[in-house]
Amino acid sequence: MTPEKEVMEISLPPSPAAPAPRAPLASRRYALEVRQQMAWPRQALILAVSLAIGFGISAAILVAAGVPAGELLNEFVLQTLFDRQSLQAVLFQAAPMILVGLGAAMAFRARFWNLGLEGQMIWGAIGATAVSFFDVGPHALRLPLMLCMAITFGLVWALAPVLLKLRLGVNEIISSLMLNYIAGNFLLHLVYGPWKDPKDAFPYSPQFRGFERLPEWFGSTGPTAIALALAVTLLAWWFVGISRAGLYLRFVDANPRMAHAVGVPVRRMVLSAVLLSGALSGIAGFVVVAGQEGRLTQAFYTGYGVSGILIAFLARNNPLAATVVALLVAALFVAGRNLQVFYQIPFSMVQLIQAIVVICVASSDFFIRHRIRPVVGKAG
Amino acid sequence: MDVFAIASNWLGNAPDFAVPYALAALGLILTERSGVLALGAEGLMLVGALVGIGAQLSFGDPSLSLLLAMLAASLVSVLFAVMVILLRVNQVIAGLALVFFCQGLTGLLGTLLGWTNRAVESFAAIPLGPLATLPLVGRLFAQNLVVYLTLPIFIAVVWYLTRTSAGLRLRAVGENPQAADAAGISVTAWRFAAVLAGAALVGLAGAYISLVSTKLWIAGMTGGRGWIAVGLVIFARWSPWKALAGAVLFGCIEALIPQLAAAGVQLPQYFVLMTPYAVTLAVMVWVALTRRGRDDEPGALGQPYLREERK
Repeated sequence: MTPEKEVMEISLPPSPAAPAPRAPLASRRYALEVRQQMAWPRQALILAVSLAIGFGISAAILVAAGVPAGELLNEFVLQTLFDRQSLQAVLFQAAPMILVGLGAAMAFRARFWNLGLEGQMIWGAIGATAVSFFDVGPHALRLPLMLCMAITFGLVWALAPVLLKLRLGVNEIISSLMLNYIAGNFLLHLVYGPWKDPKDAFPYSPQFRGFERLPEWFGSTGPTAIALALAVTLLAWWFVGISRAGLYLRFVDANPRMAHAVGVPVRRMVLSAVLLSGALSGIAGFVVVAGQEGRLTQAFYTGYGVSGILIAFLARNNPLAATVVALLVAALFVAGRNLQVFYQIPFSMVQLIQAIVVICVASSDFFIRHRIRPVVGKAG
Repeated sequence: MDVFAIASNWLGNAPDFAVPYALAALGLILTERSGVLALGAEGLMLVGALVGIGAQLSFGDPSLSLLLAMLAASLVSVLFAVMVILLRVNQVIAGLALVFFCQGLTGLLGTLLGWTNRAVESFAAIPLGPLATLPLVGRLFAQNLVVYLTLPIFIAVVWYLTRTSAGLRLRAVGENPQAADAAGISVTAWRFAAVLAGAALVGLAGAYISLVSTKLWIAGMTGGRGWIAVGLVIFARWSPWKALAGAVLFGCIEALIPQLAAAGVQLPQYFVLMTPYAVTLAVMVWVALTRRGRDDEPGALGQPYLREERK
């Protein structure tokens, strides 16, 4: 991949002072220039416009798919944020979202395209479930043990792509994706095979006992999960913003070769960032099985990979921003489920909206990074 | 069932599994030779697969359906082309966004238009005269039209890339856009053309899976084959013939699984389903281990081009 930042840091020639007389339209020429910096209000304006375009297109598609235009605001904003049950569902959904978003952000900070978030999440969930299934450890220590196993399993599943990348230069996009499919099939093997709940015919593991589930707080496990996710967010923020390793990571992200030249242990930094990413995804898997489902199910991970990448991208890999974006994505998920129930709109809509927003925001970057300037005289 | 019949069936079915990989990899090579990193294959295959079935349900002519599927994939890839060529979006982000977009769009449209799980009629097998009655290898010569067309398509694309001046221009744009631009070749136009043409082939691969092979549409039915094709291109070091060989290898492995099951070999089902992904991973590692010094990757792969930029 091209080190993008290297290309972008280019000094500009001073623009000509005197404006030239306007040429006729057909003979006007324009040059595309790389812009070094843009004042933040204009950046914010461009971002806002691109988000507005993205939501506008999404709204148009929703209307075309059969949601009455007048109901959009009601469905998306009022129903989701002001209905007690929906709000609880949003918080419920947000905890694993925050964790996979942070996971993606950690790896992307080291310029490693970890697309294996779902696989690492699956293994995290398998690790947590294994503790319950094999009845390991005393009851009081059960939950911490499950968490530790989830972290370990997620981390180990992330180890393969990063080692392959660092040692052999194997493309991590493909390797981490392939490992997702392998993990997904192994999960099916477990829930249809040896770990299947003997009590009924559904493909899931036996129900966790009370002490193996996240404790309830304010009458639900949602707030507990959110508290856990926020604690992890703070740790991540400390890691990237304050710790020495975070500073090194910013160095690696800006220019790996330069970082190596000034003595930053680049490979070790990449390795630890990706392992951290796997561990965070593993925790997300733990939160889903121990907080939401209470057992290992066959497709609990669907959609988290896409959303994790989206969250990290929109948050520019910033942990605190990732939390906010994750909350919004969680709200979108809940709204999507409501649409599914009330208007029979397939859940793919949620992914489509996310993709449209990413496309709009990614494209808007062009106007932040470039300027189009009319060429005066015989240029080119 | 005896070994002979199993081997015969296996050989007969292998092309059916190999063709989508081969066509998708060929399309990706065409695009990537122009210097554009094409990660969107999984999404474009889904578009081709959905439109292939939709067109067949609407018009009932399989050849027309294939053409429409190719056209639809090209059309969607315009979005990608604008993003990476004009707006210079990071090509990994743009490729991932394209996949997510297509997954969402095809899932939505397939359900809303009622195209899901509806079986269609399509190409029948065409036995090649006496060749098809040969023992053991006979079924290899009783394939559908698209399988027979795959080899000519490969020959045409390879001839185009290596034997025509247009192909040389396309490769020049991918190897060294500055030099190509200085020689008067429009980098933007050639990259656009390469993305659209490559997408058409990837769309054809997708339509093959739904229209010709499975004969129905299910959301997400490509199941990672687009990503495997991306891996295949790396494995083939951007050479069409090596990609074809890789596709045949994958086709043979995938075709073997149902035959083993039919022969009564007891295999754990979900471990068997992992095979294509595990094999992809294995060949990627193998390539990395055996790669010689020469790097065959297109020189400017993944790099946006801007004339005004200083290098």
